[in-house]
Amino acid sequence: MFNLAIAFRFLKEGRTQTALILIGITLGIAVQVFLNSLIVGLQRSLVDKIVGTSPHITATMPDILPAAGLLASEQRPTLARIVTNEGNVKPIREWRPVVEQLRKLGPIEVINPVARGAGFILQGEKSVPVTLQGLDLAPADKLYDIRNRITAGRFETGGNGILIGKELAAKLRAGVGSSLRITVPAGSSDLYPVNGIFDLGSLPLNESWVIIALPRAQALYGLDQGLTEIELQIDDPFAAGRWAGDLRAAFPSLKWLSWQETNTEILQALRSQSSSSYMIQFFVLLSVTLGIASVLAVSVVQKQRQIGILKALGTRTRDVGRIFIIQGAVLGLAGSLLGSLAGFGLIELFQAIPSQTRFPIPVEWGAIALSVAIATAAGTLAAFVPARRAARLNPIEVIRNG
Amino acid sequence: MADIALRRIRKVYGTEAPTVALHGIDLAIRSGEYLAVIGRSGSGKSTLLNIVGTLDRPTSGEMRCDGGDVFARDDDGLASFRNETLGFIFQFHHLLPEFNALENVLLPRRIRGGRLDPGLVKRGKELVERVGVGARMYNRANNLSGGEQQRIAIARALINAPRIILADEPTGNLDSDSSVAVQGLLREINRESGTTFVIVTHDRHIAAGCDRVVEIDDGKVLRDFRPREFTDDENWRSLAPCNCRERERGFASPSA
Repeated sequence: MFNLAIAFRFLKEGRTQTALILIGITLGIAVQVFLNSLIVGLQRSLVDKIVGTSPHITATMPDILPAAGLLASEQRPTLARIVTNEGNVKPIREWRPVVEQLRKLGPIEVINPVARGAGFILQGEKSVPVTLQGLDLAPADKLYDIRNRITAGRFETGGNGILIGKELAAKLRAGVGSSLRITVPAGSSDLYPVNGIFDLGSLPLNESWVIIALPRAQALYGLDQGLTEIELQIDDPFAAGRWAGDLRAAFPSLKWLSWQETNTEILQALRSQSSSSYMIQFFVLLSVTLGIASVLAVSVVQKQRQIGILKALGTRTRDVGRIFIIQGAVLGLAGSLLGSLAGFGLIELFQAIPSQTRFPIPVEWGAIALSVAIATAAGTLAAFVPARRAARLNPIEVIRNG
Repeated sequence: MADIALRRIRKVYGTEAPTVALHGIDLAIRSGEYLAVIGRSGSGKSTLLNIVGTLDRPTSGEMRCDGGDVFARDDDGLASFRNETLGFIFQFHHLLPEFNALENVLLPRRIRGGRLDPGLVKRGKELVERVGVGARMYNRANNLSGGEQQRIAIARALINAPRIILADEPTGNLDSDSSVAVQGLLREINRESGTTFVIVTHDRHIAAGCDRVVEIDDGKVLRDFRPREFTDDENWRSLAPCNCRERERGFASPSA
């Protein structure tokens, strides 16, 4: 491969030029790699916050409240009657077979049966609205990570025993051992001893959640062993949409919603963040390509004499072109490898600064490999125009004029 | 036996206002011949050399070598013809400054392709020694003197053992000592290996030392003679630069 030898020699001899363009490509690719990893890290941590300790897919009973017009309709009077009997929450009664089947499906990490309902705590003249979370503590802990976030008392329900959030405890001036009077809309009112206090890191949850044993909640809301929701967590949160679709097909009597469907706005924001990052990356690549093209265009002019000699001595036209295409590819490859290394260094540096370590920045090897591949391809492509000029050069002019 | 035979080579430049550079040249270059092409600037001798060197294609006519028309080949075919059959020595040396002397000598062989085996490197070194630059074999081309560069260019022209070496003003850029030495070297190589030489030159010393002189004028062969058949004095006169010659002959040339 004599082309290769000449290409390398040309690059080596044009030291300053080669060094400058390499620095340029390195910086561009470093920024690209860093930015990409930063955004992936940011998004992952954001998504983690959204989906890490919350269900990925939730099943409820379909809302069978007939539309207002239908109530008057004579075709479906029965529906109206059901609504009046059951209130607007229809329990999932036959949930055990569903859970059995879900378990067989495989990579579902948590199946959390929930009986959830509204209530309020009376304190003097004031009533504080709360949500009673009838949970089975084992799966609920896996999903919401409660045990580790108990700040006082013990992680235990049963009977009337409850767990409440830090902010709610502060608001009610209640502590472990206090008893709270909770009233549910159906009318029953009882005293519930506080077993423990949790801090789930979210003000709305800490203010409103009252965790109670699942059977107690089922009884309180007249669910008769039924559930209001089944919450699922799967291994890949981003597969939730597909999973929800499959589950909808498998269990059509239930209403399955993925976290994506309940967080469309955030996802929209993430998507526009991604597309702006792609745009930046595209322009970085474009400038890398243009940089390589311009350096090689200059090089073709500088090496006219050499090209003329090579052609006169019998180098074929396409081989002359290849000398420059190889240079483009080598610049792209070397620059992007150096750039990836620099980008990797930037990530490490960024994470070493304590105030910046809000979220981990993953090193996206796949994305780096892709960057390197694209930059190399771009360098090769950038070399085409200069290579064609070199190949078309007429050796006679060069040879006659020294 | 003719090494290369040109038949009715015409070369016309431009289409709007065509300039005829060569008017149907017929020329047979015999094997082992040491031939000078002379002629004033613009006479067409460079065009002729470019065509013989296959760097340029004629407008019409053919160049026969080994029984075929060389210009029937495509550009790649011409490139390999140049590489295998021809050796070039240019006025401005034209070594690659990125490579050292030996690498420059090996260049045509590497262009041909294939591996650079030790035998080949040895031959390259021998050639560098042969042209008298052995001591500076590993010097960068642009760290050699003009004479040394031209010697390396000669060694480079020889590496592929070409049948014909085309030299364009090979001493045009050298001082007189180097010039004499290079001339001697070319002649020696011609005698040793029987390589055909076609030398374009303005230098009457060189022309007088050639087996045959072809003078081109206005795109035609004006004279084709053997200097040996004339006296030194006759040669000295007839090979003088055109302007002097015309004056010596008594044709006043006002513009020259």
